[in-house]
Amino acid sequence: MLSFLVGEALRDLRGAGRVGVSAVLLIALSLSALGGFWVFSLNLGRAVDQWRERVRVVGYLKDEPASSKLDELTRQIEAMPGVLRVRYISKADALKALKHSLGGQADVADQLPRNPLPASVEVTPDAETATPEGTRELVRRLQALPEIEEVQGGSQWVEGLAQFRRLFELVGLGVGAVLAAAAILTVTTATTLVLHLRRDEMEIMRLVGASETVIRLPRLLQGMAQGLLAAVVALAVLEVVYALAVPRLEPLLPVTLGLQRAAFLTVPQMLLLMAGGAVLGALGGLLARGRT
Amino acid sequence: MIRLQRVSKVFGEGPARVPALSDITFSVDKGDFAVLTGASGAGKTTLLRLLYRDELPTEGEIEVADFDVTTLRRSEIPQLRRSIGIVFQDAKLLAGRTVFENVAFVLRVLGTPRRDITPKAFAALKAVGLSARAQAYPHQLSQGEAQRASLARAIVKAPALLLADEPTGNLDEQMAGEILGLVKDIWSRGTTIVFATHQARLVTQLKRRTLKLEGGHLVKDEG
Repeated sequence: MLSFLVGEALRDLRGAGRVGVSAVLLIALSLSALGGFWVFSLNLGRAVDQWRERVRVVGYLKDEPASSKLDELTRQIEAMPGVLRVRYISKADALKALKHSLGGQADVADQLPRNPLPASVEVTPDAETATPEGTRELVRRLQALPEIEEVQGGSQWVEGLAQFRRLFELVGLGVGAVLAAAAILTVTTATTLVLHLRRDEMEIMRLVGASETVIRLPRLLQGMAQGLLAAVVALAVLEVVYALAVPRLEPLLPVTLGLQRAAFLTVPQMLLLMAGGAVLGALGGLLARGRT
Repeated sequence: MIRLQRVSKVFGEGPARVPALSDITFSVDKGDFAVLTGASGAGKTTLLRLLYRDELPTEGEIEVADFDVTTLRRSEIPQLRRSIGIVFQDAKLLAGRTVFENVAFVLRVLGTPRRDITPKAFAALKAVGLSARAQAYPHQLSQGEAQRASLARAIVKAPALLLADEPTGNLDEQMAGEILGLVKDIWSRGTTIVFATHQARLVTQLKRRTLKLEGGHLVKDEG
């Protein structure tokens, strides 16, 4: 029975002709767009996660503390909720870091009559606190300490990036949904055409006592086969575009997103995309079913 | 095998209301051969369509092969139809399939095990004398051969009841005689037959129980 149903579905697929090919191409286009947005969003997400780990809050001290005072201050900050790590940066360390960042022009710093940089404490929040609300609260607590002159830092810009990612995903889903709707309609048209061409067979099937499942399942399988075929085409297109684009874009990643390498869809994600194709095709087949 | 109790069928509503059958009551026992006769438009085809539940009666009760056709659920219709073979005036063969494939199609659709399909399909073709034309396509057949293929398709699933709706309507006298002979053979093997025809000559030739319809009324039940 299974071989009969699959055989009939393949027969239907051939019978759909150009409309069937159009349906496959439209589903492939829709899945390629979705997959493209997905790959970009995936990399954006990795960047957000990476930047989230780098969130720091810096408290600049009024005076360089004595060693005993520094231990007490460090303990006080470490006891605050959401603090993962505290690092003290002395005035000398700060100047050293400035010289390092100036590179060849480091001697400019030597012209200064005295070290103008303040000592500071660099506070690393834990993962739960590395949010705009969490870091705002941390800043407020640090500002309340009498040793602290000024507090800088936070995760606002990381959250901005995360929000951009969410917006990007929404746009991707929107574009994908429009294309998916067009693809479903095309599969519906292709299947309806096949149903029209094969109405005699369906009449005979009903007259001899075939169950509705046997009559309709080949159309559903036909839609699914179109969707799966389209998903394979879409993945091939994505792979080719990725292989062509990555050598050109990868050098830009460290300076833009802070990533060393770009990432493509994982095997489970590719399987999910293929399942999406099958579902799109099956939906088209099901909608056509309602018209018989 | 068949029991109709005060069955009426009306198509349309209001001013467009067309009574097709009125107050029909009769029964056909298992293994019987009944000839349903009457002029074109007398209601023969409507009556047959009620039997295989292509239409529901407006009034009355119908039982076919132990199925209460009037209360049958949609999902149960296939079970009823598996016990019925149907032959039409036009053979309704599938154009893109050979004679063998047309007959085997029924078995495949009904989930017959693959190993049984070929022997059963060939047995049905042999029963109607069409084994030699198994690989021919419908357009390569004469009308008589097409009707024989249609008979083979109807009997391949070994139905308890065969409904024949004017199967000789398009055939010349000789071919009609051949088809009639085949139907009698099928009947002699135990299948209940309801044979609808408007051809008075065939009715006489058959010499079986005759149910005559006129304007949707059963006016004669004899033999």
